[in-house]
Amino acid sequence: MATETPVDDEVDRGPFERWVRRVIRNPERAYRAMFYTAMIVFLFTTLFPFYWLLVLALTPFNRLANVGLFPNGFNPEAFVRIFEILPFHIYMLNSFILAAMTTVFVLVIASLAGYVFGRLQFPGRGPLMLAVLAISYFPPAAFLLPLFRLFNGNVTIGLFGASISSPNLFNTPWAMVLPFSALFMPLSIFILTTFYGQIPDGLEDAARIEGTTRLGALFRVIVPLSAPGVATAGVLTFIMVYNEFFFSFLMNDGQIPEMLYESGKLLYLSNENHWAPLLKGILGFQGQYTQLYNLMAAASIVGVLPVAVLVVVAQEKIVSGLTQGALKE
Amino acid sequence: MGAESGETLRGGDRGGPYAATVRWMENLSETQFAYLLLVPTFLILGLIAFWPLVRTFDMALHADALVGRAQLGEYVGLNNFVELLTGERDALLVRPLLPDVAVDATFPFVHFDNLFVSAISATLIFSVVSVAFETVIGFGQALVLDQDFRGRRWVRVAIIIPWAVPIVIQGMIFYLMFQPGIGFGVDLVQQLPFFSFSETPLANPVDSMVIIIVADVWKTSAFMALLILAGLQSIDRSLYDVARVSGASKWQQFKYITLPLVFPTVMVAMLFRTIAAMRIFGVIETVSGCNVVPSLSCLVVTTFSNRMYGTAAAVAFLTAAIIGALVLVYIYNYATSGQEGI
Amino acid sequence: MGRVTLSNVTKRYGDVTAVEEMNLDIQDGEFVTFVGPSGCGKSTTLETIAGLTTPTSGTITIAGREVTNLPPKDRGIAMVFQNIALFPHMDVYDNVSFGLRLRDYPKEEIDRRVERAADIVQLEGMLERMPDEMSGGQRQRVAIARAIVREPEVFLMDEPLANLDAKLRVHMRTELQRLHKELDTTIIYVTHDQAEAMTMSDRIAVIDGGHLQQIAPPLTCYNEPANLFVAGFIGSPSMNFVEAEVTASGLLTRDFDVEFDPTQLSEIAEGDAVTLGVRPEDVYLREDRETVANPTQPIPARTDVLEPMGDEIFVYLLTGDGDAQMEIDAEAEAPQNQLLMSVDPASDVAADTDVEVVLDRERIHLFDTESGEALSHGLEFATVEPGRTGTEAEGDD
Repeated sequence: MATETPVDDEVDRGPFERWVRRVIRNPERAYRAMFYTAMIVFLFTTLFPFYWLLVLALTPFNRLANVGLFPNGFNPEAFVRIFEILPFHIYMLNSFILAAMTTVFVLVIASLAGYVFGRLQFPGRGPLMLAVLAISYFPPAAFLLPLFRLFNGNVTIGLFGASISSPNLFNTPWAMVLPFSALFMPLSIFILTTFYGQIPDGLEDAARIEGTTRLGALFRVIVPLSAPGVATAGVLTFIMVYNEFFFSFLMNDGQIPEMLYESGKLLYLSNENHWAPLLKGILGFQGQYTQLYNLMAAASIVGVLPVAVLVVVAQEKIVSGLTQGALKE
Repeated sequence: MGAESGETLRGGDRGGPYAATVRWMENLSETQFAYLLLVPTFLILGLIAFWPLVRTFDMALHADALVGRAQLGEYVGLNNFVELLTGERDALLVRPLLPDVAVDATFPFVHFDNLFVSAISATLIFSVVSVAFETVIGFGQALVLDQDFRGRRWVRVAIIIPWAVPIVIQGMIFYLMFQPGIGFGVDLVQQLPFFSFSETPLANPVDSMVIIIVADVWKTSAFMALLILAGLQSIDRSLYDVARVSGASKWQQFKYITLPLVFPTVMVAMLFRTIAAMRIFGVIETVSGCNVVPSLSCLVVTTFSNRMYGTAAAVAFLTAAIIGALVLVYIYNYATSGQEGI
Repeated sequence: MGRVTLSNVTKRYGDVTAVEEMNLDIQDGEFVTFVGPSGCGKSTTLETIAGLTTPTSGTITIAGREVTNLPPKDRGIAMVFQNIALFPHMDVYDNVSFGLRLRDYPKEEIDRRVERAADIVQLEGMLERMPDEMSGGQRQRVAIARAIVREPEVFLMDEPLANLDAKLRVHMRTELQRLHKELDTTIIYVTHDQAEAMTMSDRIAVIDGGHLQQIAPPLTCYNEPANLFVAGFIGSPSMNFVEAEVTASGLLTRDFDVEFDPTQLSEIAEGDAVTLGVRPEDVYLREDRETVANPTQPIPARTDVLEPMGDEIFVYLLTGDGDAQMEIDAEAEAPQNQLLMSVDPASDVAADTDVEVVLDRERIHLFDTESGEALSHGLEFATVEPGRTGTEAEGDD
């Protein structure tokens, strides 16, 4: 119908107006355009901060003032300096170990709970699940004070007339792994409950007939068959622990072991069992080397890399795990 | 064939306590077995969550012990709560770095004379504003990810990555961006027409609040997007075919099908995010410090660092109570919307 | 040895009683089938033997050992499941050897047994396949091999053929019989398919409502059913049942009489309500009555529907006064005036014609209508026909 008139119009109008006319006639184009615009805007806003960190990290220290959107020079040395000024790699390694410990701990305990909630019928199942759910929403600040006292040996329990002080765990991995586990276990429990619940009963029965115990059937048949679910729970727990702030910040004094070696012999060791994580490394730059912005940027980039790799590798698991944990339960 | 020695479990032949334990566990009824396996879970949750919650309340009923070796003073009943809520405790609490901003500030939280109430309002303002922006932006991201296009996988990775960034690094990014002298952000915001930022935005409570909200939106929109995307993808695609056949435009399809069907998911996601946002601490600590933007968790940590354990416990317990009220709403929703998920 | 005994086994789930006071004594090497409609308690009974559920009360012994509270792994049993239940993350070898590996058998012994089991179920050369690469029949063989390899004292099979297609099912039936002959181990087999039960078992345990109805060899269950349930459940198509009243001269049903002397049967007295049962193959057309040694009086009926099966024809008859209206009693499943008859395919029966039929007295069953218990199998002794003396003693046992 409208095909006759526009031919003339298009001759004497600009390309934008021509585009607008075409869009009005064919709204699909408009949606397409909106879609691409939105996509580009989102990509830009999420990725630009990383780019800017890189700019900052590569700019030499003496040219940092008023750095623009491009690096003032090229100075990859910052990525080496961060390991020299502070042993940043030790902080990262600590974070890795803490995250790995928590992940293993959470997976084992959450497997038991997931098996119970997913496969067994018993009175009290609903209320117990609600208790787990509720606790995962409380702010860590509400737990801080008693835990701090507990981990500093300030809680005593009277037992058979003798009073036992709680062990001094401050700075050790346990002062962080235990709170991390409590904080992130509920999500894993819910993910594993869903996965374990889907394994057919026949397989568990078959395993038990073949000679496993009930627990044996769980770890030999149900867990291996739920490998994707276990991987999802594991990846999420690892990332969340690595990213955690509150207890990582408060349950250690920021120190790491100091060692002095001479010709292979350990001369001096202090702060053993001090397990400050990545967070304290980053904040160390901010606190002690207040002007070395390029190093802060470089450390941030290095600190993000492991989780960025995990996201690229395991994005499907992360997506399914997060949506399941939040929506389904 | 018949009875062969091989038929008894070799493991059982080990005898001793191991076999006895296995035998005992195998003979438990389903209910007993279920409770047994839940012991480790509730041991951890009890030690790290339930017990501290109760202890925190108990500590909140005691006075601060600012001198001496004792960590807690005498029992004072609800005095800590009363003084916090009436503002009598303010003299001892940390003041914002720039107390005079109250005069020209645009955000209500600095108008309050009462510091505790201002911490509540700071937390609430942060949560409501950031969750509102996250919902809108997350919805947009979800709509983009819901399309079929080449490279979708990589776009999704790009959108999720901020979620996976450690909080301390998230804070560092925005700290550096708004650092006078190097951050382009300072120049940028000062050119904004509708809102005047100071030259050191990270020392200004209102400016810092805006920056922290932006930082939070940057990081958590992706989470919102994933939840909403799950909602979008659970919509039966044939409904759109029906709508198209009836002559509905894209916009009408969105308005009459997508929005109403995805609405419950969005509500759950918003509630979920609000609960999480109210714990805000790490970004504040890294970007501008708890002195500048005192959220509830900040107030707990600062009073705690000043050895005001009674006060800190009272703040912590009130924080938990406020969030607990929200959790109740969530659990009520969860319980009434049917438990078919579990 | 593989003798299995259940004494007074009861299983309750809350208020629901799945199995009540079950007593069974299964001999070593015997092939016993539990048969009954779904939900009758046959699978629960099997699960209590397997140890997958613990009975609420009662005891179970296997091979002379009390196992009531032992976990399944310590009972010396192997089981084949309805849904086959192969571990999808293991190949055939790992599936078959799972139980042996759990028990730390030496590698050579495991290999030897797996090979032998694979040989028995004809799975050679497939040991490295994954379950999802195999057909239904092959998977079922793997499941059987997994059971064989353990050399258990008792095999438990829970509807192992239910998920196979009809042709394969018939084939596997013979395979299982061959297997039983070869292994000579006790097999307890659960099915709802009475054809499987009839063809394979040494004895059938018919279960309904959580109660054991009868345990006997297949033909005994067929020829001398202990009660109305067994009579109706065993045999396809099902036995004809007609309500009757005992009179001084025999039985009076709504549409016909069967004459006999009720005083010959101590279980009944004049005026009792009984149910007469007769299988379709024991109903004859009047012209064929020469082939029956001891027929009843001719019964007038009208043919209704014919079902030619090839080797026989099922004829639905309506007894009574020529009025071919089916009368459906709300309580009973079949109409009271319907009789099913099986005739030779050569017979020239046609639908909607009036015929006369006779019943074989020796194959008439009498049940107590109220309790359902069998009162008599065969009414031949009561005939008043001349020249047929001396038969009284036969049926009185």
